Amino acid sequence: MSQSEQKPILQVRGLSKAFAGKTVVHNVTFDLHPGEIIALVGENGAGKSTTKNMLCSLLAPSEGEILVDGQKLEPGIGEDLGVSAVHQELSLFQTLTVAENMCISRLPGKAANVDWAEAERIAAEQLDFLGIEIDPHVTVDQLGSGKQQVVEIGKALLHAEKVLILDEPTTSLTAVEREKLFNILDKLKERGLAIIFISHFMEEIYRVCDSYVVLRDGEQVGHGKLADVPQHHLEEMMVGRAIGEARPDLSEPTADEALRVEDFENEDFHQISLSVKKGEILGIAGLMGAGRTELAEAIFGLRPAKGKIWVHGQEVPGHNVTKMKDRNVVYVPEDRRINGLFLNRPVRENLSAASILTFVKRRLRGIGFKGEKRKANELAEEMNIRIPHIENHVSDLSGGNQQKVLIGRWLVTAPEVIILDEPTKGVDIGAKFDIHATIVRLAHEGAGVIIVSSDLPELLNTAHRIVVMRKGRIAGEFTRDQFDPARIISVAASEGGARDDAA
Amino acid sequence: MFRSLTSAARLYPAIPVIVVLLVSFSTISPYFLNAGNVEAMLAANSVVLIAAVGMTLVFLTGGIDLSISTVISASAVLSGLVMAATDNVALGVLTAMGVGAGFGAANGVLIGIFGLTPFITTMATQLIARGIAFVMSQGVAVRGTPFWVMDFGFWVWLGIPAVTWIAFGVVLIGIAALTLTTWGREVYLVGSNRNSARFTGINVPQIEFSVYFLSGLLGGLAGFISIANLGNAIPGVGDTLLLIIIGAVVLGGTAMEGGEGSVLRTLLGVALLSILINGLNLIGIPFYDQLIVQGVLIFVGTWLAMKLSRRRS
Repeated sequence: MSQSEQKPILQVRGLSKAFAGKTVVHNVTFDLHPGEIIALVGENGAGKSTTKNMLCSLLAPSEGEILVDGQKLEPGIGEDLGVSAVHQELSLFQTLTVAENMCISRLPGKAANVDWAEAERIAAEQLDFLGIEIDPHVTVDQLGSGKQQVVEIGKALLHAEKVLILDEPTTSLTAVEREKLFNILDKLKERGLAIIFISHFMEEIYRVCDSYVVLRDGEQVGHGKLADVPQHHLEEMMVGRAIGEARPDLSEPTADEALRVEDFENEDFHQISLSVKKGEILGIAGLMGAGRTELAEAIFGLRPAKGKIWVHGQEVPGHNVTKMKDRNVVYVPEDRRINGLFLNRPVRENLSAASILTFVKRRLRGIGFKGEKRKANELAEEMNIRIPHIENHVSDLSGGNQQKVLIGRWLVTAPEVIILDEPTKGVDIGAKFDIHATIVRLAHEGAGVIIVSSDLPELLNTAHRIVVMRKGRIAGEFTRDQFDPARIISVAASEGGARDDAA
Repeated sequence: MFRSLTSAARLYPAIPVIVVLLVSFSTISPYFLNAGNVEAMLAANSVVLIAAVGMTLVFLTGGIDLSISTVISASAVLSGLVMAATDNVALGVLTAMGVGAGFGAANGVLIGIFGLTPFITTMATQLIARGIAFVMSQGVAVRGTPFWVMDFGFWVWLGIPAVTWIAFGVVLIGIAALTLTTWGREVYLVGSNRNSARFTGINVPQIEFSVYFLSGLLGGLAGFISIANLGNAIPGVGDTLLLIIIGAVVLGGTAMEGGEGSVLRTLLGVALLSILINGLNLIGIPFYDQLIVQGVLIFVGTWLAMKLSRRRS
């Protein structure tokens, strides 16, 4: 290969980092050549973020060194050496314009007299190169999350002359936007930019990357050409054990209906009628903005909606969160940090938050702490939540364990209908496996399950039936024997109007 | 031993400062630990302590109650007027608590139910309460306080003034309600993340209403206690206390962002500020110089609390 004969643009030598004596990254070593895309993979907590932060000079390494084009990378000078990163959390100022955001760290003109026309020109040129139509004058809060991601990348590219780091760039993108991003990456590759690509999605990694570095518990456990390693082998390197057959055994649903909605309607979705049986797992697929989250929230009573709803064959008039909770219908929201967890409270309190009344002692109406603790420990065990202690704050846990805490909270209530919105977004393979096992077990025990997910393989794996939403309407329905990824995607994305399959 | 000391300091950042102040003041002034001085210090700060418990509840939900200071004044004045007219102490207590509860309920409805910003809303009620206190009293101390109330201000039991016992009672109830009941748990959860609380099915408006209501109610009680302490209802009695109340809660280690803190921490914060003010008075530091010291201490205290509560890594 010609790449290996070229001089590497980035040399990482024995990179290590310890916090308060505890080593979190140890001896990471790899080279990156111009025009090469390398995947940095590993489970949550494997040390990817720490490595990334050292690579973009936010953190100083404890040992080892990073050379960019032969020059040593010192803390804070990443952008000066042409290294820039797009972090997982968007860092845009929502009330500033696209142009202001993109040029914010290096505004053209004098300090007191910024050349805004120039800033807009730079932004427009950059966006043009990326091939996305965004008006540099609009404020960022008017853009969808996909376009915001593009602005973020454009901003980083202004400084990334040599190395660009992308941390989970696709989690908030639709399938179409994702494909556009990959085309952009191909273009950047041709320009000779070296890219470090951090992602949980194996298909993406194999689609865009040339080589890989695997981290596990802070150690570099694998490095090489992606073409030489099959996907299951890469996953095994990440998890450190052989992964069993991923597809869990589904048991047959019963004939009894757990939940039915009819003619559900508000400004985000229209004429939605669907039902889920006891023991059935219903997947809801669709693109970002198809109204899936809005529908799920409305079913749980968090948003107003017209229409009728039945739980276990009984109509729930004027339904709201309290009424749904009383009927053991629960909802696990999409964004665990914003809508789900209490980050600065202990794991125990997070686990009991939805069921605190069940722990109240008859006498004096106080919280029964013994019962609460016992239940929290049981759940941690049952769901394989890895924590030193249930009194640790949830913010101390990795994404996968946080997600387990969020799901575990609702298991205390013995749910009969459970609606999960993106239940494995941003979690690692091990946690994903555990969460799928929990979902399948719930259905096996007789709960009706609805999963809203943008991860189609997840739905194909776990669901009995998939309903596809498009622009707020149900656009198609597939039973397990009809599952076909290509058709599901085309129904979700096509512009046609009528339903493709009869219910 | 060292571990448990640092973890105690993390939970109660006021403790190390209190120890330093106690040691230095008792070395400098022989009168500092004198029973009479301690008694005076306790009595004088019972009003602040009661109000600070109310403020703590509001802080825990991530809000702020700027009206509590003048609610103290308004409820003292109205209670004083009622007692002057009827000579009925029970009616006086009811009036004070009723006025406080009224203001608290107004804040609670506006913030909890209608979703107005706590800062602006309670600033407006602060002005209204202040206006009422001055209009109703015509700006002078209300005469005609029943003898029993004045006398009550001097009662001492086990070396501790009766008014302080009441404040301690409020502290105990506050601790019990916050740590043992589901209501208390929900107060912390709402403060930690309002969205998550709503998605979990917690009645967020109801919890918010309750903390502002209780804050007002405690402001009313504090207003009545101020009459016992001073002998008269003074129209401006609470006005200067606001920053001391907020300072004590913050120095105690309750976060303004919500979800973290406790009434016990506030008790320590009040102790810290009272010891400081009393000690500075004893060694003869003039009032305005004291303000500078207080301000600097609040800086240092918040910085210390932030440092100590920052977790590993």
